[in-house]
Amino acid sequence: MARSDGGRTPADDWSARLHGLWRAALDVEAVEKMSRHIYALMLDEPGVVAVVGSRWDGGELRYVRHMTPDGGRPVLRTRRAGPGAVVAGPGRTAPKPGAGHEGDGPAVLHHDLTGPDDGFAPEHALFVEAGARHALEVRFSFGEGDGDGDWAAFSVGLERPQDAAPGLATRLTQLAEVLVASNRRVLDHRAHERQQIEDAFLAEASLQMDASLDVQETLGRIARLAVPALAEGCVVHLFQEGRLSLVASAHVAAAAQPWLVGVAHDAWLEDRIRAAADRRLGSVVSGGDLAGSPFGPRAGGPGRAVRAVSVTPLRARGKVLGTLAFVHHRDARDLPSRRLLDDLAQRAALAIDTTAAYEQRRRNAEQLQRHLLPGTLPEWPGVSLSAAYEVADDSLEVGGDFYDAVVRRDGGLALFIGDVCGRGAEAAALTGLARHTLRVLLEDGASPADALSRLNAVLVAQSTPRFVTALAAVITPESAGRTLEAASAGHPRPLVRRADGRVTEVGVSGLLLGVLGETRYEPVTVPLAAGDSLALFTDGLTEARSADGTMFEELLPQAVRDCCRGDDDAAAALIARASRFRALGDDDTAVLVAHVKGDR
Amino acid sequence: MTDGGEDRVDHGSVLVVEDSPEDAEAIERALSRTHPELELEFADRGDGLVDDLLARGRLPGLILLDLNMPGLSGHAVLTAVRARPELSGVTVVVFTSSTAPAEVDACYAAGADSYVYKTVNFTLFQTVLKGAVDYWLESRSASGGPPSPM
Repeated sequence: MARSDGGRTPADDWSARLHGLWRAALDVEAVEKMSRHIYALMLDEPGVVAVVGSRWDGGELRYVRHMTPDGGRPVLRTRRAGPGAVVAGPGRTAPKPGAGHEGDGPAVLHHDLTGPDDGFAPEHALFVEAGARHALEVRFSFGEGDGDGDWAAFSVGLERPQDAAPGLATRLTQLAEVLVASNRRVLDHRAHERQQIEDAFLAEASLQMDASLDVQETLGRIARLAVPALAEGCVVHLFQEGRLSLVASAHVAAAAQPWLVGVAHDAWLEDRIRAAADRRLGSVVSGGDLAGSPFGPRAGGPGRAVRAVSVTPLRARGKVLGTLAFVHHRDARDLPSRRLLDDLAQRAALAIDTTAAYEQRRRNAEQLQRHLLPGTLPEWPGVSLSAAYEVADDSLEVGGDFYDAVVRRDGGLALFIGDVCGRGAEAAALTGLARHTLRVLLEDGASPADALSRLNAVLVAQSTPRFVTALAAVITPESAGRTLEAASAGHPRPLVRRADGRVTEVGVSGLLLGVLGETRYEPVTVPLAAGDSLALFTDGLTEARSADGTMFEELLPQAVRDCCRGDDDAAAALIARASRFRALGDDDTAVLVAHVKGDR
Repeated sequence: MTDGGEDRVDHGSVLVVEDSPEDAEAIERALSRTHPELELEFADRGDGLVDDLLARGRLPGLILLDLNMPGLSGHAVLTAVRARPELSGVTVVVFTSSTAPAEVDACYAAGADSYVYKTVNFTLFQTVLKGAVDYWLESRSASGGPPSPM
């Protein structure tokens, strides 16, 4: 064997070069980038006048590359196949899959270029042009997916067959093995990256779904996130009163947004959406199946062809809520996986269902709460009333505070306020019972103390585990010398603001309701004069705390002095002041203020 | 569309307006990987940007505009760009870390061509950017504009 410089044999050189190729193969981000190494390497081989590579998808040429010495400086040219691409001839078949395994690895073929093209296009012409009369081709499976028709060929052209260095065929096979391995590594890496992207997308989507409890907003956010990560357009339909209605849409191009909304109401798409809603998993319509759709080649639109439309049902807890549809202008290889679309739809459906259930429950709580409070307060000569109620948080549970005012048969005005411990359905039921019992008794003429005693008996008979506090008061008519008679069952003492600004507590107390049977309550009577105000409230007001722990109770006399001067919104003003003060404490608050009209 | 400066627009050039060096670097990394053929240019503020564009012989085909910037905000830059008919041939893609529908509507009303969500995950953001850039490159070449270099 001839020796080259430094005692290295050509075989040693080839081994070193092959080793370099393997290292490059493990480093490139795209297998196409291997071309910068292998074409020049083979053109360096003795007798080689041109190197040509071709890549085939499903029997059609994707691109061809060739390198010739071109005045001493090798030049690599790439020609991408356009429409009417060269189709592999019948004699040029795809190699068997599984390249690299014994028996079905890359195949080496010899071509005599002096005769007519033997199905060796487009290489034949390129080699002849470069002055080659003989070619060696290695052909190997080279797919991006599972397609059998995806392969590549790498060939060298020689002026004479005898110019070929010994082992040239082996070298070509070794090159093919490097390319196949490099391609496999790149594809594995891309699949892994794609999986990571999909996981990251689903994680971001879940965050978006948590951002709002409004169904429409949530879906708008999901559509916005998905465009253009997954598709160029997204439309979401939900069943509303038995019909599918468009609730959110997004297109990557602002100008295409109106087009997309129009398309979302198109009969063709509505049919697909209705059909998809009946299925368990999503479906994709592409290519010729889009004919007749608003996405066909002749249809108007954003000026870009739609390559696929995917529709996935939104199902949660056994219910079909609607559909999630994507419009893809992108290439088929960039379409999101079925797994991602189904997973996204499933998460979105659960979020919608949870949000809808929350919304329904919130509405129920709101309605119930409204029924537990009086719609309007009565008109009574000489006294103006104002009331306010504040829910501490956006709770789904009905609070237990209640109040009311009623004109008595004897002409007096009865006022009461109370608080059932806790929240929720049971608290709401007790609140209703307490409010209506007190209202009927006081309206009928019972004294505040008697009304509380009888309510206590009712609650004890119910064996309720919840405590109830209440304060009842009756203001006598002016003709009877206006006085206030009050009784309390464990409730915060009311305050009276005199016309001159003094604020005093009505010293009334008594045992909580519902604890002991046969409880009697001691009434307290105080005179009321023109310009005086009486403020009744629940402990949500007094127990509001600032960040340093100060209770609003300490500031309450001043607040009553400032707010209860006969204004129509005295109760709301008191609550607002406590709200501004409150950093801690999440109890509901009810306030009822009665102001005796006249000079202050 | 000569009045929109269409003949001066270079669809192979992208201007990224982003104040954060880390985010600008991430965008550069993402785009040079997905679109190595694009010529990227960076600006770290919106102040003076419109004047700078008007003074140029060639305009970028695409502006990637961060909405949240100190100084002249992304919204203000967007409004200023859209106020100049000479720049109407330039596509403006805004990106921000909000998907709030009100924010999207405001940007569309101000004339943004696309609104892109800036995801936390870099690989996902690369995919999002690729989606937007692919769309506009192909749209411009499909609509008879200068052929894209792709």
